[in-house]
Amino acid sequence: MHLRLVSGVVASILLSAGAPFVLGDGALRLWTEALLILTMAQMWNLLAGYAGLVSFGHQVFVAAGAYALFLAAEALNVSPYWVLPLAPLAAAFLAALVALPLFRLRDAYFSIGIWVFSEIVATLVTKSSLTGATAGLPLKTSSLMDLDWFEPTLFWIASVQALAATAGLLLLMRSEFGLGIMSVRDNDVAAMSVGVDVQRNRLIVFVISAAGCGAAGAVNFLSNLYLSPASAFDVSWVVNMMFIVVIGGIGTLEGPIIGTLLFFALREIVTGQLGLSGGWYLVALGSVAVGTMLWSPRGLWPALSARWGLRFMSVERKAPRLALQDKPNND
Amino acid sequence: MAWIETVVNGLLLGGLYGLIGIGLALVFGVMRVVDGAQGEFMVMAAFFAVIVLAAAPDLHPLIIFGLAILFSFCIGYVYQSWIVNRSMQSSDPLAPLLLTFGVSIILRSVMVEVFGADLRGLQLGSLSRASIAIFNINIGVMPLLTLATSIVLFLLLQWMLKRTSFGRIIRATADRRDIVRLFGVRPDRVYACVMAMSVALSAIAGLFLAARASFTPFSGVERLLIAFEVVVLGGIGSFWGPLIGGLALGVTQLVGLKWDPNAGLLYCHLLFFIMILIRPSGLVASRS
Repeated sequence: MHLRLVSGVVASILLSAGAPFVLGDGALRLWTEALLILTMAQMWNLLAGYAGLVSFGHQVFVAAGAYALFLAAEALNVSPYWVLPLAPLAAAFLAALVALPLFRLRDAYFSIGIWVFSEIVATLVTKSSLTGATAGLPLKTSSLMDLDWFEPTLFWIASVQALAATAGLLLLMRSEFGLGIMSVRDNDVAAMSVGVDVQRNRLIVFVISAAGCGAAGAVNFLSNLYLSPASAFDVSWVVNMMFIVVIGGIGTLEGPIIGTLLFFALREIVTGQLGLSGGWYLVALGSVAVGTMLWSPRGLWPALSARWGLRFMSVERKAPRLALQDKPNND
Repeated sequence: MAWIETVVNGLLLGGLYGLIGIGLALVFGVMRVVDGAQGEFMVMAAFFAVIVLAAAPDLHPLIIFGLAILFSFCIGYVYQSWIVNRSMQSSDPLAPLLLTFGVSIILRSVMVEVFGADLRGLQLGSLSRASIAIFNINIGVMPLLTLATSIVLFLLLQWMLKRTSFGRIIRATADRRDIVRLFGVRPDRVYACVMAMSVALSAIAGLFLAARASFTPFSGVERLLIAFEVVVLGGIGSFWGPLIGGLALGVTQLVGLKWDPNAGLLYCHLLFFIMILIRPSGLVASRS
């Protein structure tokens, strides 16, 4: 298992290190965007698929990361790269702050409660002159960055994030802590009775999920060099995360990767190859979602892996089998 | 006096919110499905009425309303029995949720592509702009009709669920869909009827919205969050709750806007957030 994981990580690093020298500008930008969305989707997946908390308000963490980056870069007058670590910290801080009241809510109440929280923060940010109000913020210190290497650097940062999100989730879910999280999702009362600290586990997962979205959101707006509240707090962020995760396969690590590939392939084909408007792309996306939910409600990856017996990053645990019957599977 | 007028107008706006929330509350209460496409059905009914009105300008508004509601009822029945019922068979509650969000995106995008994103209104002659004065307070006739209609519909729905045998079947199916089968009830049919009623209720909300103000294909999704708030504030599964929740949000919105003109829905959201923290199960205790 460790050999496969290490070789997978090394191969991914080599691939993404070389990609900017091979890909054109447009393709590089597209891949950067896809990797950032993948990171966010994995973070949403961590919360919804493994911890059982369905969030409709993750755009607030995307925005928190982006605002932290833009405000800190301006205040400290340094290159935005240096303050990038502040983005996940700001999102994590916000998540820890709001977790206490939000965790009192159950199921659909939590989903709607966090969406409302996001709208409240969005309105306050839009009203405050400190955060640039409706006009938003330009990236003041963009001249401190080496613009020749701007696109490749962002691509590398996005690759590191997506890789860290996916590999980190794999390790997390294979650990004892991950087992505790999944037990909370499946039956919180039973989990509590065997000594799992439900609220603490939820809090940790919620904060990690927010931090990941904050980091990816910051890089996304860094690549735009401009931040507006309407796009930062756009509910499309969480809608896209949800579509990608649920179409690909919630509660699996491969699912969001498949979902992201499908999401971008669909967009490029409908708006690029077929030359249709963005509206028809949304129709296509909606149709894929409806079709997937009718054909395979657990998402595409579980259906495919069951059919062809594919398993790459499974976190499934199997009961030990008798040595005589079969060779135990170490996955 | 101006404040009283604001509160009265808030109550009238609350009537519309209650009407939007009631359909969602019905579907959630009976099927435990959060229907993300409810807003689009609202807009669809408005477009249907606009098209019929353009084709036959001499028709009485009530006939047009009736046709639009009938149309929505059929759409709701088909929507549930062809699509939503199939996804409700999986144990994962996220499947119907994503399915309805998918339907909502399809409907909205198709409406944008076909009808465009311009503001439209349903012109019902003088009725749309008429107003009456009570104690020096100007009250629009359309908003007043909206509130009256929503109160009547709430009463009707309450009566139907409590007193008729069909209402009893709905409540029984909501509680135990496996056991009602033993009594010859087909849960899928019941769900289809409930969804049809819910979409018809949304259609009424959409028609009132179109007649009193204007709408675009995005009018539904813009009100989705407030509709959720109405349902949650009212207590999921309770049937009077959505009206009370709607009225509270309507008054809060207009009073908030008068006090702080660029607040948008901030005070509605704050009220919701504070209320849900004090009473995590809604204003009105849940039925179960």
